[in-house]
Amino acid sequence: MRDRRPPHARRPPYARRVLLPLLAAALLLPLAACTSDGGDGRGSGPGRSDDGRARTGTLRVLASSELSDMKALLEEARKATGITVRPTWAGTLDAVERLASGRADGAFDAVWLSSNDYLRLDPEAAGRIASETPLMASPVALGVRPATMRRLGWDAASVSWAQVHRAVAAGDLTYGMTDPNRSNSGFSALISIASGLSGAQAALTDDDVRRAGPKLREFFAGQRLTSGSSGWLASAYARRSTVDALINYESVLLSLNRDDDAGLTVIRPRDGVVTADYPLSALTGATPEARDAVRTLTEHFRSTAVQREITARTLRRPVVAAARPADPLAPEQRRELPFPGSRSVADGLLSSYEHRLRRPSRTVYVLDTSGSMKGRRLAQLKSALNGLTGHFREREQVTLLPFGSAVKQVRTHTVDPADPKAGPAAIRADAAALSAEGDTAIYSSLAAAYDHLGPDTESAFTSIVLMTDGENTAGRSAAEFEAFYRALPEARRVTPVFPVVFGDSDRSELEAIAALTGGRLFDGTKEEGPGSLDGAFEEIRGYQ
Amino acid sequence: MGIVLAVFLIAGVAAAVALGRDSGAGGDSGTAAKTVRGVIGSEKAEFFADPDTVKALAAHGFTVRTETSGSWAMDRLPLKGYDFAFPGSKAPADELSRSAETRGGPLRPFYSPLVVVAHRNAAEVLAANGLARLRTGAPEATDGPGGADGPGGGSKWATQGTLLMGPYLAAAEDDRTWQQLKGASGHAELSGTVFITSTDPVTSNSGALYLAAASYAADGGRVATDAKAVERTAPLLRKLVQVQGAQQTSSDAPFRDFISGVGNPLVLVYESQVASLLMNGQRQEVGDLVVLYPDTTVSSDHTLVPLTDHGRELGELLSTDPGLRKLAVRHGFRPQGAAAEFTAATAGHTAYIDQRLTGVRQAPVPTAELLRSMARRARG
Repeated sequence: MRDRRPPHARRPPYARRVLLPLLAAALLLPLAACTSDGGDGRGSGPGRSDDGRARTGTLRVLASSELSDMKALLEEARKATGITVRPTWAGTLDAVERLASGRADGAFDAVWLSSNDYLRLDPEAAGRIASETPLMASPVALGVRPATMRRLGWDAASVSWAQVHRAVAAGDLTYGMTDPNRSNSGFSALISIASGLSGAQAALTDDDVRRAGPKLREFFAGQRLTSGSSGWLASAYARRSTVDALINYESVLLSLNRDDDAGLTVIRPRDGVVTADYPLSALTGATPEARDAVRTLTEHFRSTAVQREITARTLRRPVVAAARPADPLAPEQRRELPFPGSRSVADGLLSSYEHRLRRPSRTVYVLDTSGSMKGRRLAQLKSALNGLTGHFREREQVTLLPFGSAVKQVRTHTVDPADPKAGPAAIRADAAALSAEGDTAIYSSLAAAYDHLGPDTESAFTSIVLMTDGENTAGRSAAEFEAFYRALPEARRVTPVFPVVFGDSDRSELEAIAALTGGRLFDGTKEEGPGSLDGAFEEIRGYQ
Repeated sequence: MGIVLAVFLIAGVAAAVALGRDSGAGGDSGTAAKTVRGVIGSEKAEFFADPDTVKALAAHGFTVRTETSGSWAMDRLPLKGYDFAFPGSKAPADELSRSAETRGGPLRPFYSPLVVVAHRNAAEVLAANGLARLRTGAPEATDGPGGADGPGGGSKWATQGTLLMGPYLAAAEDDRTWQQLKGASGHAELSGTVFITSTDPVTSNSGALYLAAASYAADGGRVATDAKAVERTAPLLRKLVQVQGAQQTSSDAPFRDFISGVGNPLVLVYESQVASLLMNGQRQEVGDLVVLYPDTTVSSDHTLVPLTDHGRELGELLSTDPGLRKLAVRHGFRPQGAAAEFTAATAGHTAYIDQRLTGVRQAPVPTAELLRSMARRARG
């Protein structure tokens, strides 16, 4: 669920490029087209090829990826209204960018994001919204393990962000949260926490953020897990019994309880929340028919019966008073924290989080530079590394560990806030000097990476990225590495390996490494775009 | 004002709809001779898009194509080729009348006062602390939330009242929080600074009129006539706006958020939005809505500036044709002159709608230029 990347995130040009093919591909997947009975008379029967053009009875919607849990309800809406929704899944920021640039003009009739808050700060994008109506709601919340609740002696109904902060600062509470630069839930959480801890009684200002700096730093020192997606965050959390809580949408946390027996106590802090309200928004360029269709769908989704279905299935809150929230949803209301009034406050907060507030990251890039990498592959690797250096965070420690028959060298650079360009420049120089030679000692090199990181996995988010284009041909075996890993003290085992499939590498071998270490496999086999080496390195940033 | 262009780019729904209907019904056009083009405030888009409005206008030989624009940006638009401009306020209409070549004086077919919608808890706390007065002994009293209508369509609690602007602005001046108000502690949602959500005053009519009403009340019942007067209320107006953070640009979105239970419990809207919801909405959408009429408010005077003879005919038709007046009422507007149509249509909703606007003082609106300067200083 890569749902949001606010724009300040200095995304390099290549990142924009990788997105397009994905979106284009998604365009060609009409929802529910295969289940059509063809008898609805609205011209969207089966067997018709879908070219992404406007069509009566079909609504082209640019939608937040997390709304894919609405597929069944969209299918029911089609049966009830005759309107087929053809969604194109995208991150919120990606959607805002497409709207603002005009690339969505004529390609979509409506957008459906988790929230239009960020969109509103961009006049170009906001000007393309003709009307918007919220269809359901879910606030950011804190899910806490039962044992932790007992230990802290909290009353779930009365906990405030200040109280959460005190527990974290005292070392009594650790948590996981998605990356605010990539995920809407993380971004909303960041706004909630900053509002709560700054004591701001109104919309956040730069002053509020500055004043809350020390408390925010203490708060984010307790963040043990970061993630580019809610899905991986949940599984990492399940693995790490030492992480006490998760910050995410209330609906996500309650779904973990329902589907995975997570047993979380879900807390909506008493001093206020930021709520995703999923507004279905018609675009100004839509045809009258399309706008009628948006209105019809909106009415359908806001009917009491469908609101009951929505809350029962998704555990989001209904937005009409006549439908009661589903059972696990506490009825008590919460104040909605005002969203910052300017892009500069929102972007400034994100930038503070990145460079000053969050724990820094320490990452080892274990890079296959064996003989088979010679030529084009090595060039691709160098270019991907170069792309990365454009957005390392301040205080971040990056180690390049190229290997062939054995580890070739271990070079570490830190991005110094006093001179933030020096570190990346040194990394670029090291990357340029890489040469391809030797066999492929994957497991020995991974073990060396763990040794390099050492026993301190507390002061930073530690992770290992493994890029290889072939199978293991030298050094330790898979079994030997597994024994090595299992023998590590628990604190050292928390470091995940994120392997990237590239060239002729053995996917199942890499999958086993990800599973063993609690990492996630990324695909780098494509020439460009998502699934290329560039794209994989970029996506992994959300997990570092 | 970069927004002018942005707003202008919003090609009107109504226009598109009108176009669609026109071509669809092209066969029977015995009377369809006059196609008029106009630029309108977005709050009237639904009215012009209503198929019945389209039909009623066609019966008089009119095909109306509209584009929406912020009312306060209309005077910056190139109006060549348009037959009329229809802002949501008198001041920009006056300005247009001066600058554009018009065909006779402006016409004001209908109007709608600004009101504050509140959730029940918020309204009751405001009342308990002298910031509002709730109407009691009204024709409400039936069977509670979402239940059947009483004589006036109300519920067990008071669903209408008065927002006392003096005390409210004093509270805003002091950055009063809900926590400081008695009775708020039992409601977790009532926390943080007390404020009314409005639209962006730089781009949107209702947001600008909010500042007009507030500056009038804060300056001792005087309408701002010069830069000095703007200066006097600037710090307060800035507070009213800055506290809100991100603002929306059309009056439609904050009202929909409100009835969805999302966001701030106090929102400034047009009475027409509430009336339209009550008359056409499903009962479930009303929820625990309370309508507060500010004791000093501003009416949105929907003022048509005729730029051609056809534009003028349209304005006269909207003002006098019983069918069109009725349609305006259906969208919650109050037609000028006899109030009978509005009174009859809202008879079932008097628990929410104050038909006679008793004790509501209408503040005059400063010139467009002064109001724009107020808005820019408050927002900037």
